[in-house]
Order: sequence, then C-alpha cells, then structure tokens
Amino acid sequence: MSDALESGDKVEVQWKGTTFSGMFISKDEKITVIKLQNGYNLSLENVSISSINLISKYSPKNVVRGNLTGKGKRVFLLGTGGTIASYVDYETGAVKPAKTAQEMLYARPDLARIASIDAEIILNILSEDMKKSDWINIAKKVFEKVNQKEGVVITHGTDTLSFTSSALSFLIENPGAPIVITASQRSPDRPSSDAFFNLTGAVKVAQSDLGEVGVVMHSSTSDDTLDIHSGVRLRKMHSSRRDAFKSVNSEPIGTVDGNLNIHWKKYEKVNGKPTKLYDKLSEKVGLLYFYPGLSEEIFNKFTETNDGLILAGTGLGHISNRFLSQVKDYTDDGKIIGITTQCLYGEVNLEVYTTGRNMLDAGVIPLHDMLPEVAYTKLSFLLGNFDHDTARNLLAKNLRGELSERRTE
Amino acid sequence: MNYLSEELNDVKIGLEIHFQVKGRKLFCDCKGEESDSELGSFMRKLTVVSGEKSEKDIAALQESMKGREYEYIKTENSCLVEMDEEPPHIPGTETLDTAIIVSLILGCKIVDNVHFMRKMVVDGSNTSGFQRTGIIGVHGKFKMDSKIIGITSVTLEEEASKKIREDEKKIVYSLDRLGIPLIEISTDPDIRSPKEAREVAQNIGLAVKQSGMIRREGSSIRQDLNVSILGGNRVEIKGVSSLSQIERVLTKEIERQESLLEIARVLKGRSVSTDLLLEDLTNSAFFTNSEIFTKGVSRGKKIYGFSLPGLSGVLNNGKFRLGKEIAERLRAVGIGGFIHSDELPNYGINEKAMNEISKRLGSKEDDAFGLVVLEPSKIEICVEIIQSRVREALNGVPAETRAAVENGTKYLRPLPGSARMYPETDIPLIPLNSSYIGEIETKVPPTVEKRVEYLESMGVPAQEAFSSLWKEYDDVLESFVKDFGTPKVCAKFLSVVYSSENPNLNKARYLTKRFSKGNIPSESLESLYLSGEFKLSESSKLTLLESNSFDYSIQLEDQLGVREIGPEFKMKSESSEKLVKIIEAIVKDNESLIRERGEGSFKLLMGTVMKQVRGQFEGKEISDTLSQKIRELLKN
Repeated sequence: MSDALESGDKVEVQWKGTTFSGMFISKDEKITVIKLQNGYNLSLENVSISSINLISKYSPKNVVRGNLTGKGKRVFLLGTGGTIASYVDYETGAVKPAKTAQEMLYARPDLARIASIDAEIILNILSEDMKKSDWINIAKKVFEKVNQKEGVVITHGTDTLSFTSSALSFLIENPGAPIVITASQRSPDRPSSDAFFNLTGAVKVAQSDLGEVGVVMHSSTSDDTLDIHSGVRLRKMHSSRRDAFKSVNSEPIGTVDGNLNIHWKKYEKVNGKPTKLYDKLSEKVGLLYFYPGLSEEIFNKFTETNDGLILAGTGLGHISNRFLSQVKDYTDDGKIIGITTQCLYGEVNLEVYTTGRNMLDAGVIPLHDMLPEVAYTKLSFLLGNFDHDTARNLLAKNLRGELSERRTE
Repeated sequence: MNYLSEELNDVKIGLEIHFQVKGRKLFCDCKGEESDSELGSFMRKLTVVSGEKSEKDIAALQESMKGREYEYIKTENSCLVEMDEEPPHIPGTETLDTAIIVSLILGCKIVDNVHFMRKMVVDGSNTSGFQRTGIIGVHGKFKMDSKIIGITSVTLEEEASKKIREDEKKIVYSLDRLGIPLIEISTDPDIRSPKEAREVAQNIGLAVKQSGMIRREGSSIRQDLNVSILGGNRVEIKGVSSLSQIERVLTKEIERQESLLEIARVLKGRSVSTDLLLEDLTNSAFFTNSEIFTKGVSRGKKIYGFSLPGLSGVLNNGKFRLGKEIAERLRAVGIGGFIHSDELPNYGINEKAMNEISKRLGSKEDDAFGLVVLEPSKIEICVEIIQSRVREALNGVPAETRAAVENGTKYLRPLPGSARMYPETDIPLIPLNSSYIGEIETKVPPTVEKRVEYLESMGVPAQEAFSSLWKEYDDVLESFVKDFGTPKVCAKFLSVVYSSENPNLNKARYLTKRFSKGNIPSESLESLYLSGEFKLSESSKLTLLESNSFDYSIQLEDQLGVREIGPEFKMKSESSEKLVKIIEAIVKDNESLIRERGEGSFKLLMGTVMKQVRGQFEGKEISDTLSQKIRELLKN
C-alpha cells in the first residue's frame, strides 16, 4: 500500500497499537516519515507500522507568482550552487531552492525594490566539487554581462569561494561593470540567514562603479555591516561564523551599512578600457602545503605532474633543505615554483635565513604577501594563457591587487 | 449561561506544560544554570521566508511587520551555538533519558526515532528564527482521581532567550536561557473547568518531578493554555507561570470569550459594515483641547477619523469591550492610541465635538467612530487591521494567541497554523530502539501514589509526604526518619528547612540528631535552624554556633553563665512539681471542656499549657503530664 503513496498524501497510520492521521512524506528501506497535523514529523520504523491507509491524494496548489522584474539598475544574478534563495513548503516541510529569476524574486521580494533582476543558475554543485573548467564557464558568462556594462552577482558556496573570486579576477581584465560574489553561512530557509543582507548588499555593489571582483559578506556576527573584500585578498577564516571571510594583508575595499549605503575605501573603478576575457587555466599547476616529514615521494609526484607549483612554506616561506636539489632540477627545467607562506598573515622573505637563500639559489620565486590560493589560481591563469617566461615574469608582479608593498597589520 | 461552573461540557481546555531540564543545554555543551554575566552583545534581523503556498505564515508575518531589530547579550553560559554561528551539537544522553522517563511516567508510547523539527518563531526569542523541537512520546494517558486526561505528546525542545527590554525599534534578549532543554507536555482538550485545569497541571507537575531532573528555579515551569467555548474558536494563552494564575487567567478568558459571543449575537441584528469612511481630521478644530492629539500632530503625525458602522455600544459598554480588542490588535503592530466613540466624551473631546465628528463621518444610529493619530504611512495597515477585527467580531471568538497578564489575557498574534515546521537537517535522526527504552524503563521512578504510601507507612503524615515530593526532598525525609526515628518531627522540621532558598542539610542533620537524643527541646529546632538561637526563658537561651559548614555546637546561656553543651547535656528543668501544679490548674479551669470533648481536649489545652511553660520543661514531659491529668479527671 505505502509503496504507491506520494509525498503529500493524507494517510492514516496504525503504529504500536495507536492511530495517527497525517501526511505521508517519504519512505526508505527502514523508515517511513509521516507529518502530523500539528506539523511534527514522525520517523517510524517500517517494521513497527501495522498499516498505512490512504485517506486522500495530495493535490498541490497552483502557485501564482507574479511577473516581477523589479525596479532599479539592472543586475544579473548568477547561481553556481550555493543557494541564493529558497522557500519552504510548510505543508510538507520541504525546502526548495529558487531556480529561476521569477522564483528568486518570489522568494526575495526585497530585491525587486532595489534592482531589476535577471537570473540564471549555471551550476548546481557544492563548492568543494568545483573544477577549473567551472571557473572558466562562470568567467564566460560573467564576461558576457560585464562586457555589456551589466553588473553581475554570483552566488557561491563559501568553502572555495576565494579560489573562484581569485580565478575570475585574473580571467576577466578591465571588467566593464562590477563582478560581485556573495554567499551565506546560514542557509536562506532560516529567518536568521545572512543570505538576505549579503545578497541585497551584493546587488547594491553590483550597481556601483566597482571595476574589479568584490566579495560581499558580513563584517561581524551582527546584521549591521557588510565588508566588500577584494577578490584576490580574502580567505575563509572560520568554519561556521557569518563573518568568516576576512581580507588578509589588506583592508576590505569598502563596506555596506545597514541602510545599504556603500562606503568605499581604496578600490578599482571601472576604467573604460576594453574588457578582456582569458578563457584558459592550466591544469598542470599544483598547490602543496609543506609539513615536517613531507616525503620525497610525494614532493616528486607534485613536480612530475605539474609545470608550475605553489608551495605554502613555513614561516617566512621555508621548505626543508632536503628538497633543494629537486627544486633546482625542476626550475632548471624551465618550470616554476612560487613561494607563499602557510602563516595566516604576513609576507614571505627568503633573505633572512640560510634556508631561504638556498631556496632562492635553487630558483624559487618568492610571492610577497600573496595568499597561497591566489598564487595557485594566478599561476594556473599565467601558464594557461602565456608562455613560461612571461608567466615567470608576471607571477610576482601585481596584476589585480593581489600583492602589496605595505602592510599595517 | 454560566461557563464558569465546574465540569461544563461547553468548555474545552488543554494544557501545554513546560519544564526545564537540569544539566547541560540541549544543543551545545554550555551549562544550563542561569548566568548573569554580560559579555558584549550583537544585533540581528530576522526575515520571513516565503512559503510554497504564496502566503507567508500569518503569525510570522505580523511580527516581522514591526520591522524590529534584535540585540542579543552574550553570557558565560552561551557559545557560538546560541549565537546561531555554529551548527547544533547532538543532545546529551541524560537530557534525552529524562524526556523518555517523563513520557513513560505519562503513559506515552515512545517514538522510534527522535526527529527534530524547526518551528518558526520570528519574535527574535530564538537567534535562529526557529525553535528546535522533537516528539519523544505520544498518545499517553494520565490518571487523575477517577478521570483520565489524554496526553497528546511529550516533546523535547530548546528554551527561548530571556527578554531584557524592548522598545518600538528593538528587543534586547539575553542568551543566558536560550537552549536550556525544555520538556513540553501537551494534554488533549479533556479539561472542563479552570479549577480542573489547575489540578491537572499540579498533578502532572508532581508526577514529572519524580524524575528528579526537573529544574526548580522560579521561571523553570510555565504553562500555555488552550481554551475554547461552544460556538467559539480555540485561543492559546502563553506564559502562565504559576498554578494559581491558571485558574484566574482561564476564568477571565472564558468571561471574555462569552462576551465576544454575546457581541456577535447583538451584531447579527445590526447592519455592520467594514466600509469605513476615512477622513483626515488633522486640521479640524475638534482636537484643540486634546493633548493626545495635539502632541501627535506636533510630532508630524496626522489625525484620522473613521466610521465604525453598527458598532455603537459594543466597543466599551459593561462587559462588551470590542474597542479594547481592536486597540490590542493595533498595538501589536506598533499603533497606539486608538480612541472610539463609546469612550467619549473624554480625552479633551467634548460632546459637541463628538457629535460633529460623528456627523462628519456620516454616522447613523448604531454607528460608532474611531480616531487615531499616527504617521500617514501607517494608516493603510491601521484600517486593514480594524476591518479584519470587525469582520471577526461577527463570528464571535477569533482564533488567536494571547499572553497571560495579571488581569486576564492580552492579544499577542494570530493563532499560527500547524504548518510552520520543517525538518532540522543539522541533527541526524536519533534512534530509540527497544533495548535502549527497556534500559530506561528500569529508571522510571515509582508513581506519586506509591511513594506517598511508602512514606506514610514510615509514619510521615500524607500532607507532608506530598510536599516532600513536590519539593523533591522525599529522599532526605526518608533518610532522616530512618536515622533518627520521629517521623512527624522530621517531616515538619524538613518542611521548614526546604521552604528556604538554600536548605542547609548539614545543619538540619546536626539539629535533628541532637534533638533525637533528647538533649535539646524539640520546639527549638526550627528556631535554631532559622535564626541560630532559641529563648528558653527571659534569662536563658540556646545559640547554634557554626565553626564551619560541617561542624556545629550549641551554647547555653543562663544565670550560670555561657557554656557549650554536649550530647550529654540534660535540660535542667524547673521541678516537675511546678509543672504538675500549672497543669492541674489549667485542667481545673477547663473541666467542662474536658468533660465535653474527652481526650480530644488535649490538643486545645496543650496550646494553653505551652504558653505558660515553653522552654522550661521538655516537650515530652509536658505532654505526658497533661494527658495523664486529663485522663485522671475523666476517670473520676
């Protein structure tokens, strides 16, 4: 009987000598889920249920969603997997992600008050499953819009957001409109979600004159200020807090206050030069976190399979002297090793200790205060679009604001 | 019709009783004990998420309309989980066991798996915007005297934050209480009178306390009440914190519902309409003497008048208080100062002005009118709310959630539909298999009746046995009686000890021990415990000395000076002859009473005797002598 049931059907269940009426939700090999009239779900063991009888079939109500487009400067929303907006079917308890522009505006009517919104979901994957080819696809779509001076807001999972923001920074040169990435640490089905403020703030930033990739996220645990980070200077510093993202070795480029006013600090404006898309990323670049006891076997695997390598060294950027000869052979081969630090803050400096000087002699390139993940996407970009010599020359040069000469913290 | 008489089938009452559980918080490892420390604060907003059915949950919507911000104060017993900055942890076993034990005490069937849900609560009292709650037991039966009260469910949920203060823009909460485990017991609507409601709450409370895991602090037990009368709708009353309040609040609420039904009957014969004629009266001369209005206008607000067709005499007239109902609805969205014609002339508006306003608003016979002074942006919602409440008045009692206040109840929000829950995906299903339940069944304490029976068999009076269970010192009482004998003295003394905030068991034990050796007068026990001294007579007294919280001694002060007395100390009483003389005199004076009442006169005379000899003789000697003299008199 229960095999023919569909989610939403009204049923009567006999269980352990008592009777419930409620709504059938789901059934697997072990458990049948029934939603009681008071809203609670009961997850009953199949073996303890003596019978389930259908009372009436579920007839979903037709949802009428107006034809909202919104008022204000046009913004394109690009979904890449992190949920932009969702709505809850309180009848069945199902949380459904918004998949079209209409559904998004239905779920987030506040957006319609500040912008006319168009939207597209181009990817529906977890951010940890993202590949370089996904970054290129996102970049192509973004280029299409910013080349026509239309601001773009990309929603993304938080886990690898800073890789994507960095990759987009390099792949799109002189964007003709803002490229803004935002995310949420609390899913948007919750009334407390940070998605509401983050997305609204991101849309505002996408309507500005920002000429680089910006990431808009909570400044603190409070819902009162958003930070606008440069896409090449940020890192996820906390696994669960709303204010997980921090600008590292630099200040945020601006903030958005509770009334959605933007307060800029130092930022790149749209410069009017032609927007250029680079559509390649080398797959033969590796990122290796050095640790005591790192085996030569693993180090060799990295060097064998990659044309370029970013090392996150200890402290000022060191790796064990044991690897110096392999490093030298690798760079002598014309391949590139860029050095960053695994410390959370600060610059690499290979002039201070003998090990560092040895590493320089072996041909590594110190990458100043560039973050390892930024260096990784940058080298992938350089080796994908330029010859090795150009790539080597550009790696430690500032292209998109990814490194700085001065630090105050 | 009188709805207040007992056992009326027209009244249906169900209870939701909440108990805080001892131990850690439900979804994190913070301590459940309350903490006053303030460690900074943060600010949040809540947003109502649209529902599939293209209508937002009405209850949720209304709270959000207030556009409020919420500030949360961090405390030492709160962490990232309470801040909604870290996923919930799995509930503690001890808490889960307690919820299962409570379900079993109430005769419930235990669910196969605990399935936590998110129940939308957007008043800010939960940082997440929902309360996590899961059913533990269902379909129980609670026997009370000859009646069986159905138990709908026993759920385990997280306690909400404590409101510190609020104004129009902001509510400040403390995270202190948020997340303390709460057991909610919902009864079926089997209760038929306010008095019975109180009894059910009391008896369930006593039964559940047997688990030994229920917190005792003042605010740790709260009830919500569901009540409806025939022809009306269900009204939920939140936040009743004492047993006596249950009866009082229900009585008032039933009166309110009854009068609403009567208003509906009156309105049936009239032409009531929600076509309100709205006029901007800001510039009219009616209000020049009315401070309420002039003050509002000086702050940039406008005065609006509107007709209320067919509502004259039901807004505020005897027990008819529809005006108050409308005002409460408006206040819930931050619109205060609703004034209507049933309460005029007043507020600086005289009869002449009143008649003119009425004329201006086209009022006919039976028509009333209303006045508000508010920001022009709010008038639309104001009118909508009034129209909706008037429509509901035609049908009698609207289904709504109300708050218990001193004199009855006050409107809070519409009754939420059942459909505002969805699964909590951060916590996996918690299986409760039969071997686990079997293990817990062995921990279920004996019923209240069995426990009282047992204590009575030891010689403890029933009343004191009950109160020892209620205050959870029955185990202490049992051990005192076993160690020292004298069940009545122990029971009475411990009832005094446990009436204080922090019972000092060491002190109580020391005194009971000294008493049981017959070395200090029994009547001095309470006095020595509470004030540390006991006057034996004008010139002599006993003092309890505390050298540390484990070691005590007793000092005697009399004509011979001050000295410590040991267990070998014997009361040096006045000669027994003196006692006999005093008693003989009293017996003689009361001869007729003794002859009339027989040995029953003992109790009455004991009081008289004690007044004269308290502290001078040992209690036992006094009572023995008195009963001997009474018997002697009766023999003759």
